[in-house]
Amino acid sequence: MARRTFRGGVHPIGHKELTKDADFELYLPKEEMVYPLNQHIGRPASPVVKKGDAVLAGQIIAEASAFVSANVVSSCSGKVKAVEKRRSIGGSMVDCIVIENDGLFENAPGVGEKRDPSALTNEEILGKIKDAGIIGMGGAGFPTHVKLAPKNADAIRWVIANGAECEPYITCDDRLMRAKAEQILQGMDVMLRLFPNAEGVVVIEDNKPEAIAEMQKAAQKHDRIRIQPCPVKYPQGGERSCISVVAGIEYKITQLPADVGCVVENVGTIYAIYQAVCESTPLMERGVTITGDAVTRPCNLMTRIGVSCNELLTYAGGFKDGVQAAKMMAGGPMMGIAFDNLTVPVQKNNNALTFLRTDEVVEAEKLQTNCIRCGRCNRVCPMGLTPQMMSAAFAKRDYDRYENKLHGLECISCGSCAFICPAKRPLTQEFKVAKAEIMAIKREQQAKEGAKK
Amino acid sequence: MSGLYNISSSPHTRSRLSTGRVMMDVVISLLPAACVGVWHFGLNALLVILISIGTAVLTELLFDIVAKRPVTVTDGSAVVTGLLLALCLSPAVPLFIPILGSMFAILFVKCFFGGVGKNFMNPALAGRCFLLISFSSTMTNYQYSDAVSSATPLVDLGAEKTVNLTQMFLGTGTTTGVIGCSILALMIGGLYLLVIDAITWEIPVATLAVFALFVGIFGGHGFNPQYIVAHLLGGGIVMGAFFMATDPVTSPVTTNGQLLYGALIGLLAGIFRIYATAADSVSYAIIIGNLATPLIDEFIVPLPFGFRKNAQVPDSETSSFNIKMAKPALNLFVITLVAGVGLAGVFNMTKDTIEEQKRLAKLASYEEVLPEAETLEYDDKFDAAVEALGGGVYGTDFGKAYINEVIVGKDASGATMGYVVSSSSNDGFDGTITLSVGVLEDGTVTGIAFTELAETAGMGMRCGDPEFKDQFAGRNVERFTLNKAGGSTADDEIDSVSGASISSGAVVNAVNAALAFLQENAG
Repeated sequence: MARRTFRGGVHPIGHKELTKDADFELYLPKEEMVYPLNQHIGRPASPVVKKGDAVLAGQIIAEASAFVSANVVSSCSGKVKAVEKRRSIGGSMVDCIVIENDGLFENAPGVGEKRDPSALTNEEILGKIKDAGIIGMGGAGFPTHVKLAPKNADAIRWVIANGAECEPYITCDDRLMRAKAEQILQGMDVMLRLFPNAEGVVVIEDNKPEAIAEMQKAAQKHDRIRIQPCPVKYPQGGERSCISVVAGIEYKITQLPADVGCVVENVGTIYAIYQAVCESTPLMERGVTITGDAVTRPCNLMTRIGVSCNELLTYAGGFKDGVQAAKMMAGGPMMGIAFDNLTVPVQKNNNALTFLRTDEVVEAEKLQTNCIRCGRCNRVCPMGLTPQMMSAAFAKRDYDRYENKLHGLECISCGSCAFICPAKRPLTQEFKVAKAEIMAIKREQQAKEGAKK
Repeated sequence: MSGLYNISSSPHTRSRLSTGRVMMDVVISLLPAACVGVWHFGLNALLVILISIGTAVLTELLFDIVAKRPVTVTDGSAVVTGLLLALCLSPAVPLFIPILGSMFAILFVKCFFGGVGKNFMNPALAGRCFLLISFSSTMTNYQYSDAVSSATPLVDLGAEKTVNLTQMFLGTGTTTGVIGCSILALMIGGLYLLVIDAITWEIPVATLAVFALFVGIFGGHGFNPQYIVAHLLGGGIVMGAFFMATDPVTSPVTTNGQLLYGALIGLLAGIFRIYATAADSVSYAIIIGNLATPLIDEFIVPLPFGFRKNAQVPDSETSSFNIKMAKPALNLFVITLVAGVGLAGVFNMTKDTIEEQKRLAKLASYEEVLPEAETLEYDDKFDAAVEALGGGVYGTDFGKAYINEVIVGKDASGATMGYVVSSSSNDGFDGTITLSVGVLEDGTVTGIAFTELAETAGMGMRCGDPEFKDQFAGRNVERFTLNKAGGSTADDEIDSVSGASISSGAVVNAVNAALAFLQENAG
């Protein structure tokens, strides 16, 4: 039987060999720690500590302020130095809690206690996950306790662990699955308890044979879970690509995975669920891949959230030969965020820091030509869109056509079209602008209608 | 560590593809055909290729400089245009032809519309069509050596001659035609483009399939493999399907759009090939396809993820697989069917009218060539003699000449005063020439009139002009001879239409056949 894959997709060079053989090194930060309050999708958390307060590792320092919001937990012990605006990895100044790290990492009471999840009710499980401040750790940062509480839990038919890690360079999910296979599957068991009619599926790309082997070995003891290796193709790790290969279902961007009977979580998130529920450990730690050809010693670090990027880069030996990178990204080159300031902190959803000597975007711009209408963008779009036509509609700001005829809002900004384009058109970038402008127009209209009433 | 870092929106990586690389692949894919052309036709072919490319590149460079636009020749698209145009030219063309063609292609079709990616039709094809219209005689002269001027395989095919399929396929032997006439070499290039994913299969497959189907249905020879293959090998349909129609700028971007576009081109090429001048059918078909592209792209927008069949509802794997595979094929089939049926309908509706018009034209021509006859009657003796020919070639000295019918002209008293013979020749440049010859009882030719003449405009068609055809009237000779040089003095000599000796010769043959038939059967 031919294995299921999604339509479209591209094959960027993986560069995973830089770090795939590097097991996690534990790194405990030494300098001050910064915790942005808006690491997740939704409303920023509201601080529950103030300047001068003493905090312990694992203590909640900011609480979820709305239904879609998430707690922020201190990952070190020390004293609150400030609650102020700091620069975050996205480039803007955001509200942050800054903690003077005392270097002791003294845990709050109860943190680390083993617990048998079978003794908990479903509500208690969701409570533990919410308290732990867990959000989607693959990048999007959607609060997990919201995702795990759909309207009808019985209608969920698939719980999908996303271990595809299709983004080039990054290997921290790969290493996590190799090191913590059993724990991840126990985390899935916790999720499956919430969804009695669901099957657990772990999606892993073929380029991680060791992780597939480890997970398959561990899965023998878990009846409701199977491992589904997938052909290597970007963006396999996209939520919609994952669901389409596991369940054969496609859905609109206005729908949630839960609407089509699916819950998808990154394997890192599931490991965090395991830690929160079975080991009473909130989300303080995560694996971060430090990689790229500008780094002296590319590696995988298991470190504390809130540490500055500069500290991690220094631990990895700094820039190779002292030559400054041309480009730094949080995440990989396909969907990562470029940043220009090493003092920014690592967030819950930062899976990698990539430092590159050459900026391919600059090189590509030199080769930019008019669109030659070759149609490659249409063929690679995993959402079946027509980037070439969308780009033409965007150029005319014909947003009616863009949204209604071309379904441009279905774009997931995966970058495949801009990657493949021989004319080096900035397609994905245009679509991000289009989406933002269309959303702004919609908000304006809604505000007007609201005012009339 | 003092420099600034680059910031940009993701993605931060790009594939190795570039417009230049895409163009380079097309050039590579055309090299086999170019090499075979140069090997087969000699250095003149190489000269045509180099001049065409050189002119294309230079034109774009100069335009960019004069118009103060960024210089874009480095993307290689001008090289592709020049090379494609050259491969569509006869190696015998005077060198101003590739120069003019390339300049037109680059300047008028590409640069004036905004450069690479903005042209509304394939520049090389537009250049070729421009040349075809402006210099039709030069462009259709495929004579490349001192040997007797030879018709292209397609002309032979139209004239029901046998053609050498192997030679056509390889582009060797006595094959005449354009520089890029080796089908094998073109197919190697086309396959290369398919394998490296530079073009998609939809356009060439749809084009060739619909074209073959059309030729099979309407070509008049049924699905005779030899006939269909000969049509597929000739007249640039392979070149067109793989290299011209697939030009990304002027073809639809979606899969279904490409199928429709390919089918349209195949259909038009078929219509033009069977019912119009055969040689340039593909060029014009693709040009029309190019013009239809924006329309196709407007109407065929594929459904995205979440809007397609398997949205929300899980499907069993096997059924979805089959549907996905069958859909393009089904679309293609339906398109072809609709187009074919529509065309057949039009053909049948107009068929009787066409026949009636032909009959009236024939009668008019009889009266024209034998105006003194009071009545025109069929005669059993002649009918039997024509019948005895069985529709075959008449005589041995007149090439492929045929006798269609003989009418006896009678005067007022009912006595035979002359004859009208309708004869045809298949030795014309573009197919059959049919004419009526009026002859008096004493053997004096009263005149000739054409009932079927579809030669090249401005050349063979001039056989219909009085200067040529009136030469026959009033002469009384046993046989006419063609004087290619002109300036005839002898009674039996006919001055050829200059530049159209093939057509003129066919006319003379048909007249001679008529005279011979009369001499054999009359009195």
